[in-house]
Amino acid sequence: MSAGLRDIELRSRKTEILIVATVLIFSIPLILSYSLLVLSSFSKEMVTNLNPRDFIPTLRNWILFFEGRTAVFGGIRVNICHIVLNTLIVALGVSFLVTLVGSMTGYAVSRLRFSGRKKFMALLMLLHAFPGSVMVVGIYFLYLMFLPSYQMVRLYSFFFVIVARASLEVPMATWLMKGFFDMIPWEVEWAALVDGASRLKVWRKIILPMVKPGVAAVMLFGFLAGWMDIIYVRTFLVDQTLATWIESNINAEYSYLPLVAAAGTFYLLPTIIFFLLARRLIFTISATGVKG
Amino acid sequence: MTKTNLFSKIKNFIHSDAFIFLLPAIILIIVFYLIPIVVSVYMSFTPLKNWNIARYIHEFVGFENYWRFLYMVTHDPTVRPIFITTVVFILITLAINVLGGLGLAIATFFMGEREASSTQLLWLLPRMTPIAVYSMIWYYFFHGSEIGTLNSILMSLGIIHNPIDWGQSIIPWGPWMIIIFVNGLVGVSYGMIVFTSAISNIPKELVIAARVDGASNWSITKNILIPLLKWHIVYVTTWQMLSLLTTYDHIFLLVEWGLVNRYYGTTWALYIYNMAFTAAEKDLGLAAATGVILVIVGAILGLLALKILGFEKMVKEPRGDI
Repeated sequence: MSAGLRDIELRSRKTEILIVATVLIFSIPLILSYSLLVLSSFSKEMVTNLNPRDFIPTLRNWILFFEGRTAVFGGIRVNICHIVLNTLIVALGVSFLVTLVGSMTGYAVSRLRFSGRKKFMALLMLLHAFPGSVMVVGIYFLYLMFLPSYQMVRLYSFFFVIVARASLEVPMATWLMKGFFDMIPWEVEWAALVDGASRLKVWRKIILPMVKPGVAAVMLFGFLAGWMDIIYVRTFLVDQTLATWIESNINAEYSYLPLVAAAGTFYLLPTIIFFLLARRLIFTISATGVKG
Repeated sequence: MTKTNLFSKIKNFIHSDAFIFLLPAIILIIVFYLIPIVVSVYMSFTPLKNWNIARYIHEFVGFENYWRFLYMVTHDPTVRPIFITTVVFILITLAINVLGGLGLAIATFFMGEREASSTQLLWLLPRMTPIAVYSMIWYYFFHGSEIGTLNSILMSLGIIHNPIDWGQSIIPWGPWMIIIFVNGLVGVSYGMIVFTSAISNIPKELVIAARVDGASNWSITKNILIPLLKWHIVYVTTWQMLSLLTTYDHIFLLVEWGLVNRYYGTTWALYIYNMAFTAAEKDLGLAAATGVILVIVGAILGLLALKILGFEKMVKEPRGDI
């Protein structure tokens, strides 16, 4: 980002403050609503209506959350570790698969000449216009058709949700990786190819190490896609993830909402970490993506 | 193209290097994009209900589901709102996304480095937030009772005296406002990213020269930035239009939790999902027919988008081939 064009040379300080103030005013709902969620997670009552008396600081929500107690009264106990683990499995699975397939396909469309290349790329763009909800209906049909025996269903549903969710991200990952492969001077791999190495070997040993930032970016995006998903998870996965746990707790009579706020804040954490890790990355990536 | 020609082409492709690299993607695309669409088309000609595949799958009803769809759109007072909602939702959210993204990109351009990157991070947050958390945040913000943040602000300012049930009582603009707001915030960041990176590719000299000549922010925006961003504006508009036509996950929980009205808060894509998965009687034949029509609309708009964008120009020939 810092390398990009920025109007710093001759602009006036006064108009800059004015612009920042305007943007800030538009950002108020965003800042307010996120802060209230985090604040609620540390309070005995939900702090949603700006009433300072509702904010009673406590760490109890977080302790309850990690103890896996979803309700303060009664005996409902959910092992939150399992729920977090389920969410993590889906996220890591999607991340791995998207990275693998995206970097292979991205390489092919960037470097190889094959008949139907343009059509293939047009198809990748068109897939974006495929309505997700119609696909889910068809995919659920397939899911039922290949449903295994009772003991295997949980495993099957994990596998299924990961592969199905990952395939949604394949077009994005391909375009992204293509942008990165396009930037590598091809003389490098040309030399290796002349020496008789196979394409697959060149890709794995020479090219892939050169696009590490791209691979990292696709991994992160894939992780977040799996981590934040709700539709695929609630449709296909037998086990609960953080998303479906929150879904079922918001309107439930037994739920203790500040605890749900704590779970929500916890669920948000990877996003924040991602931001700190990748703030530069996001913009360099999109720059290459558009030029692609 | 003759049959043998196509055959040898396929054979050549299978023996080429590209085949190995493309195989995983091709499998995924076939299994999770193409077959599901074919299955949906098939389902739309059956009376399939409640996922009872064994019982209904060999029955055919012809185009009955399509006629029912047409009849419901024109006559059913609970279905018509969904299509009106979809059109209003797409048009207004699209305008917010494109103009908001453009506004943010230009505003951050005139800011210092630190202010700019904080603004960008803040506005990217909605896109990166898990959907359940994001929905929860706005659930409390727009909540219909006095615990809702918006209600409590307006009440403490003395603008209203009783809490307003935004998503349920002010029909249709209440639920429309909420779903447009919630999706608009997510969509704005896409335009912002594309426009920001496009601006950063503009030659610095252009702006500096204009500054030296005493140009104002406004005239730099109007005479340099906007003209150079024209192609990107078209790109973002068409791309976002397709996204909005097919999006449903950011509205799903708002409807399920009862924050917004079921009829004036549901879009076409969500309607299909709910008919197939959350309705008491899951009328899958009708859901599939409704979906197939959405696929056709999406495909037409998608092809149109590729034409408008000049797809040929976007795809260069590869360089690294011997």
